[in-house]
Amino acid sequence: VTAVLGEFLGPAGEHIAAAVCFRGELPYHAQCGVVRQVDRLLATLSRYLGDLPLPDPFYPARDPQRSAASRAAPARLALGRAARSLRPVIAGAADADTGDAHPVVGHLAAAAGYLAAGRDLLQTHFADGPAGPQAPRSYWAPVIASGPVTAALLGEIADDTQHLASWIGRLPVRWRMSPSMPTSPLLVLRQAEPWLQLAVTAIHTARCEHHPAPASGLLYAIPVNAPPPRPLSATDEAVADLCARIPVTAERLRHATLHYATRAYRSPPPTSLSWRRDALACAIADHASELILRTLAERAGHASLEPPFAARLHTVADYMAQAWKAWRSVTGQWDIVTTGAPRGTGLTTVAAEIGDLALEAGRLAYRNPDWTPACSDAAVVRDPADLAQSPGGVIAVLAAVHQAADAVSRVAATDQEAVITAAADNRLYVPVRLLSDKYDIPHPYTLAPPTYTQALLTAYDTTVQTASSVTTALDDLAAAIGAPSSLLAATRQARAPAWPQPRQLHDQEQAPQPPLVGAAPGRTEQALRELQIRDPALLLRAAVIDQAARDLVSEAKARADSRSTVTVRTSLLTPVARQIPGLPARTARQDAPRAPQRLRADQAAATTTTPSAASGQNREARAASVSPHSVRASRPPST
Amino acid sequence: MVSEMPGASNIEARLEQAASLREVLAAGFDAFEAIRMAARDCQNRVPALFAAFMTTADAAVDGREALTLAPSLPPAAGAGPGEAVAAGADPGQVADALAALAGMLGDRLGWAASLADLAGDRAACQEAAQAAMRVCQLMAHGDP
Repeated sequence: VTAVLGEFLGPAGEHIAAAVCFRGELPYHAQCGVVRQVDRLLATLSRYLGDLPLPDPFYPARDPQRSAASRAAPARLALGRAARSLRPVIAGAADADTGDAHPVVGHLAAAAGYLAAGRDLLQTHFADGPAGPQAPRSYWAPVIASGPVTAALLGEIADDTQHLASWIGRLPVRWRMSPSMPTSPLLVLRQAEPWLQLAVTAIHTARCEHHPAPASGLLYAIPVNAPPPRPLSATDEAVADLCARIPVTAERLRHATLHYATRAYRSPPPTSLSWRRDALACAIADHASELILRTLAERAGHASLEPPFAARLHTVADYMAQAWKAWRSVTGQWDIVTTGAPRGTGLTTVAAEIGDLALEAGRLAYRNPDWTPACSDAAVVRDPADLAQSPGGVIAVLAAVHQAADAVSRVAATDQEAVITAAADNRLYVPVRLLSDKYDIPHPYTLAPPTYTQALLTAYDTTVQTASSVTTALDDLAAAIGAPSSLLAATRQARAPAWPQPRQLHDQEQAPQPPLVGAAPGRTEQALRELQIRDPALLLRAAVIDQAARDLVSEAKARADSRSTVTVRTSLLTPVARQIPGLPARTARQDAPRAPQRLRADQAAATTTTPSAASGQNREARAASVSPHSVRASRPPST
Repeated sequence: MVSEMPGASNIEARLEQAASLREVLAAGFDAFEAIRMAARDCQNRVPALFAAFMTTADAAVDGREALTLAPSLPPAAGAGPGEAVAAGADPGQVADALAALAGMLGDRLGWAASLADLAGDRAACQEAAQAAMRVCQLMAHGDP
């Protein structure tokens, strides 16, 4: 079972709620323990805030980025000041008994642990790398960074902080100091309370200013970024078992497609064997899914479900029929086209596992629980009452089909992109023996003639479009009946940016942000303190001003450093350039107008966003680079 | 142009009569192509056998691809693969015929592998024989 964020945020909130229910008198050691655990909680909550992709108020056009610490500055500064006020007790209780056995301390410690684990879970979806800091590394990453999920997380943080602040405000403070402790822990907690209230206000302000309605359900459903274990092969499985198995297989395939898409640049390219296997399995899975949907439609008429539901099932089945026919067309193209040799690079993870999905879909569609593609296992389709005994059964089966279709659509998009690249790289061939006699080539393979390449790419275009139609229709249907797979639809919707995202401002790269919590008071705040100002709201405003000044100077310094580096490079290059024969010609070539075909290819490559959105452009541009005259001149991949 | 479904040719007879490695390789290549075309022709006729014929065509491509890389595969002689089964056969009969052809093909390729001196020929024959066995398993007992 894959862990989800709700398994951490939920218990964290429950433990905080349990702790703040305590109305009795805390023993001294428990007071120290409370301070220590509140400190842990504040540090973790501050880290959550630091991760959020909040828009920059001064540069709204800039893409919100994770770890842009200054975005949540007021709330983080407030939490930091609250934590600072706890330090005398933290320092004094470092080696002392901190009353961990007390229930309140235990609840707070558990809450801090759950919250930290939840943040670790979120961090699995991002990583620093060549693409930049905190780059997405899962298909959930855009969902996590989306407005609705950010709003929901802000709400969780605000609620937890509010509970703590309210409870601290109600704690009975005794002014009698302990003989061994110069400062009462509860008194220290009381000093933190106004800062916590200010943090809550700042969080609510950020949420109201920048974010749409929160998606708490989606927030709680965020899984850890790790593929679930591959289900063990089984026989004679019931419908319910298959409905539970298919989402696991689909999730593994989703991970595998992303892993393939983000694989290392220098890793060996996949071969047509993998794409052929993918197309075969997807065709079979979609064919079986069409049968399932039609059986469900028949069942829906007898299962107290609304008549329009059956009609919608038939409509989705029609889309599914188009999808498997498109895949069938792809397999027909791969009958002839190949990447040739070498063939030893092995199957991709998707190709190695996608047969599972075909097998599971087939077993759900047909009456034989041990169905395989072999003729000996062929069977008639399941009886409608056997497939879904109740309306709940209809929903469960529909969810399984939805999960399978979603995985298949991702495979379609990933393979299409890979095949476009293979065509652009002149890695598609045909066996010479299958060509007519006019191709007198003494090699087993020759470069695929453009008609073959074009037909293959067109087949993939159709496949991606039909797969997209299927997922869209199933998204709507699953959401309408509240199927568990409606989460897939929600993730697709949440990924839409919550704020306008114009072009990336490359010249405004982020400077490294100094830590906020530990920052010493700046000039403005210091000036207020010298004026004996103790109002936390005024002090926080001063701290925000100081922090903004630090960020501004830091960013300006980064820009200045960048400018001086460019200047040095230019000055180093100029004398050398004069000495290299031919370089001026190369330089001049940059100003010459490019060939229209090449220009189109460059533009298409630059504007490509998603395979489904720009696949046509991309394909034409890249296929244009495959010369029709290169067939005879090309070398075979191997002899 | 890829060869269209040509007129009748006796692919089984060619396989039986093949007496050398080169002849088995050439006949095997054409047999796989005949199996592929027959499977593609039948895949849409009975929904219950859609997966069987689709997978059979895929296995036939595997076998043909393996033989394509055999160093001793002679150039195409122009005869083409011919038909694997008689025109007008129902899908069940096609499946039975393909199972029989694939069984023979697997045997002949196994024999050819024992004749091969070159490692490339041997590997190609063995890999193609496995593909033929898969076709045989997929097509056996073809009554839906």
